[in-house]
Amino acid sequence: MSSSERFSITSLISQPLLTFALLLVVVQVLLALFAPWLGFQDPFQQVMVQRMKAPNALNWLGTDHLGRDVMARIVYGYRTSLLTCGIAVLVALVVGGTLGMLSAFYKGWFDRIVMRIMDVFFAFPIMLLAIGVIAIIGPGIWGASLAIAIVYIPIFARLMRGSALVICESEYVLGARAIGARDTRILFTHILPNLMSVVLVQTSLLLSAAVLVEASLSFLGLGAQPPVPSLGLALAEGRNFLLLSPWPAIFSGFAILFLAFGFNLLGDAARDKMDPRLRENQT
Amino acid sequence: MTAYILKRLVDLGIVLLGMSLLVFMMIRLIPGDAVAIMLGANTEITDAGLHELRARLGLDQPILLQYWNWITNALRGDFGTSIWTGRPVATEITANLWPTLELTFLSVLVGGCLSIPLGCFMATRRGSLSEVLTRLVTITGLTIPSFWLGIVCLFLVAKYFPGVSLLGYVPFSENPIENLQKMILPVIALSLPMLANLSRLVRSAMLDALNQDYTRTAKAKGANQRRVTYKHALRNALIPFITSLGVSTGYLLGGSIVIEQVFAIPGLGRLVLGAIAERNYPLVQATILVLATGFVLVNFIVDLLYLAIDPRVREQ
Amino acid sequence: MQDGITRLKTPLNCVKVAFVAMTTIASVTFAGSLQAATLEVAIDSSPAGLDPHLITAFNSVVIVQSTVYEGLTAVQQDLSIGPGLAESWTVSDDSLTYEFTLPEGTSFHDGSSLDSEDVAASLRRVQNADIASPLASRVSPITGIEVVDAQTIKLSLDEPFAAILSSLASIAIVPAEMETDKESLQQTPVGTGPFKFDSWKPNSHISLTKFDEYRVDGLPKLDGVNVNFVPESATRQVGIGGGDYHLLPGIDPATALQLEANPSVTVQQTQDVSYTLLGMNTSRAPLDNAKTRQAINMLLDRNEIIAGALFGAGVPAGPLSPALATWALDTAEYSCYQRDVEGAKALLKDAGVEDAKISILVLPRQDAKDIAQVIQQQLSDGGIEVELLNKEIGEFVQDWKNSEFDMFVSANGGSPDPDEYFYRTFRTDGSTNVFKFSDSEIDGWLDEGRQLTDPAARKAVYDQVQRKLACEGPIAHLAYGNLSTAVSDKVSGFEIYSNGRLSSLLNVTMTD
Repeated sequence: MSSSERFSITSLISQPLLTFALLLVVVQVLLALFAPWLGFQDPFQQVMVQRMKAPNALNWLGTDHLGRDVMARIVYGYRTSLLTCGIAVLVALVVGGTLGMLSAFYKGWFDRIVMRIMDVFFAFPIMLLAIGVIAIIGPGIWGASLAIAIVYIPIFARLMRGSALVICESEYVLGARAIGARDTRILFTHILPNLMSVVLVQTSLLLSAAVLVEASLSFLGLGAQPPVPSLGLALAEGRNFLLLSPWPAIFSGFAILFLAFGFNLLGDAARDKMDPRLRENQT
Repeated sequence: MTAYILKRLVDLGIVLLGMSLLVFMMIRLIPGDAVAIMLGANTEITDAGLHELRARLGLDQPILLQYWNWITNALRGDFGTSIWTGRPVATEITANLWPTLELTFLSVLVGGCLSIPLGCFMATRRGSLSEVLTRLVTITGLTIPSFWLGIVCLFLVAKYFPGVSLLGYVPFSENPIENLQKMILPVIALSLPMLANLSRLVRSAMLDALNQDYTRTAKAKGANQRRVTYKHALRNALIPFITSLGVSTGYLLGGSIVIEQVFAIPGLGRLVLGAIAERNYPLVQATILVLATGFVLVNFIVDLLYLAIDPRVREQ
Repeated sequence: MQDGITRLKTPLNCVKVAFVAMTTIASVTFAGSLQAATLEVAIDSSPAGLDPHLITAFNSVVIVQSTVYEGLTAVQQDLSIGPGLAESWTVSDDSLTYEFTLPEGTSFHDGSSLDSEDVAASLRRVQNADIASPLASRVSPITGIEVVDAQTIKLSLDEPFAAILSSLASIAIVPAEMETDKESLQQTPVGTGPFKFDSWKPNSHISLTKFDEYRVDGLPKLDGVNVNFVPESATRQVGIGGGDYHLLPGIDPATALQLEANPSVTVQQTQDVSYTLLGMNTSRAPLDNAKTRQAINMLLDRNEIIAGALFGAGVPAGPLSPALATWALDTAEYSCYQRDVEGAKALLKDAGVEDAKISILVLPRQDAKDIAQVIQQQLSDGGIEVELLNKEIGEFVQDWKNSEFDMFVSANGGSPDPDEYFYRTFRTDGSTNVFKFSDSEIDGWLDEGRQLTDPAARKAVYDQVQRKLACEGPIAHLAYGNLSTAVSDKVSGFEIYSNGRLSSLLNVTMTD
């Protein structure tokens, strides 16, 4: 991959799908970031006489069973989801990514030990490991966040190791080593920048999956706890009175879908952009 | 090649050992006195009761000895007894094994089989619009929350087909038709993301094959183009396809936890959730161990399949 | 979005076709082999065990009590006490000796016949500290158990114990050889009831079958009962509509409301003796002050709690359930039940409470979580900042038991006699007095009420207790919900009991 393949505004516009994905993600992230200043209702305010209302002029997406505005709950739910999933993926990226890169760089016993440990964690189905972690640290958004981080560490570690191995064997890294460049210098100036594209793509794809895991955990009562506004929790609560008022469950279901969809499409489109072999197929 | 298999076997052993250690440590990592929490549901507990339960679980022994006892017994198929019902844990697990296996198997079957024609179909419809549509639809399939889909399906079917029995599980040997009927919705909900994923793999492999020189050559020679394309494309797709199947099994085992809950299927997923809820730690440990071991073994078999398919791996 | 919809349409059509085909085949092939007279019951989770002397959870009780097991006496539908295994009894003039007569020819499911030795062994089993039965306090006043002959048993007390007959209804009679056995009954119950235990498929269902030698001829009418464990309420709803299940006992208000709209299902409701509550730790400031507790009561709007969290199904609660019609006072008598934010603020100021921050431990159950959220908002009107602590059930119980809470929201099972509830909960050092509540006046009344046998005098004492507890006690009683049971139209003869037991299954029949 050459430097001319890096992101630029012009290349974005020539990629309608990527633009669409970016737009979808940016809108949802901005909504979450600036929710308190965008004039939404208070997501905690209960108005009992207004409970379980269908969408109307006052509450655009209706109200939930405690008379809270569904739209506000969803927008603040984006905050919860993005915060927990974002932190989880970031932690996994830093810890897993570092381990993977160092494994590829130093190889030998370090590589073997780290990767066997990663294999052990990787051996658990994702939901199962997450549930196990929560059994230990207790339910809640931070429990869910830590569970997702732990589940993702081996994924990032394997990925970064695989990609970094190729780069470590490349001429310029071998050359840099030969002329006696310091390890840290090689890692930061030669290896890391070349991994950025892989990292960006995977981060986006894994964020998408994390949103779904967080929603599933909340659905099982192991994630966010009331009164925290959360998409998964809103869906879990809403399913109890689906026939009385389907709106909270339907809208929060769609919100989860859009969020996960946006990140997945973004990662997917970006991967095409960066992998010339796949891009050829589109033409 | 023998060396490769040996190496993979050693890896497998290490992973299984580490996994069992991790599962074993879980119960010890629970904050507070796990035994007191376990007894928590009864209002009147005595110190004598605590000691007795602790002794029954072997928690009064040195930790290494506990692990040794647990793992050697587990290897013999003895996982101890379920705390509340007093029945052997192994019996409870085998009783709940089949529904999960069937659900996983059918989902792999449906997702795997349908993905090939679907992927081929998508590959033939080229052009920017259908390209975009394909992608949007498959990504929707990947990111739709399966429990949401399950509940929506459940209500829709209940509304349009009142009186159709959709819930629970009937063994195949007892009533094959009812068994399959009850599996339809859960399998749809579970296999959709897999179908989306695999059909995209097949599609891109097909496109690759269509662009290859030999395809063009074959076409120029007037050979049966379709046959050549399919043969190459499918061979091309085989490795990512099988890898994906292996990884998907893990996803299915995890996904079945939620789906079993929605469709009242008495499988391992519900067993582990129920066991956690009632703090039945011997059962939690054993069920997680069995599920994870299954997942590791599937991926081990996938690794061996590479060996059979791809000569490049064999050479390494 | 649009793609999503078009995509959904086609598979749905396929599913339609597949379903029609399959159900046709299924109904043709298997129509003849269906067992018509097995009742399918669905509850939310599997029981943790079935030993009638150890279980307290609704899931366990609903399965075995009054179906597999019977007591000497039985609670009737109107909550009065009638004969159970004992056909009659006599009470001595000083109310210290009770003599029960057992009819001949009653047998256990294992074939052995019931005699008074079994009754004596069962009572001793509950009292035995080694068995650690949570029911022990209900029979602790019984000091003498004497087998007179095979059909007669004499129980003696040191002091009069007014609630003895209702307490005995909750003690299942088991075979004498189980007296010191802590394990067997948890898995394989053996009783005298109309249904005998058949099998337990973990995580799936428990099967009970008709007991052919039941002591009443011609009963039960059903061939069997399967109790299915179905965690999702949406799934239970669909299941009873589709005919997978016939009876859903103890459903939550939202499910009840939705099933009422279903023409093939009837929802039977009765006043529940169990209730939701806000418990307060009286050993922690500012809740140690009776004025703070009164102010909290004044900030609560019980009707709003009922509307919001219980979907309108319930009535504001005083210390005793209106189902206990002879005992309970009208909640209109309690002045603090009128919401008064200003009055509450004044009281708090009086008590020296400013900017109070209080945490609420929340029972992990949907209604409790909803109630806690409503309370959080209501108390904030009075300047009390509330933090909700959502814990997992095991930790909740542990914190509750160790009094590790400021306040908690939970649900309690009720009792048909005031003493049973008040004494253990509000007496200084009572067995479930986790609030560390201690009030000498209340203690005196409770001791007195226990020994009085004259109903009018007893009532006068408990009236005083209720008045004092309602506003200043460690519990703000919130609401008595409705106990709702959904019954499929294929079932006839089912009647709901407010103690939650399925006693009427004895007379239930099924039609196609």
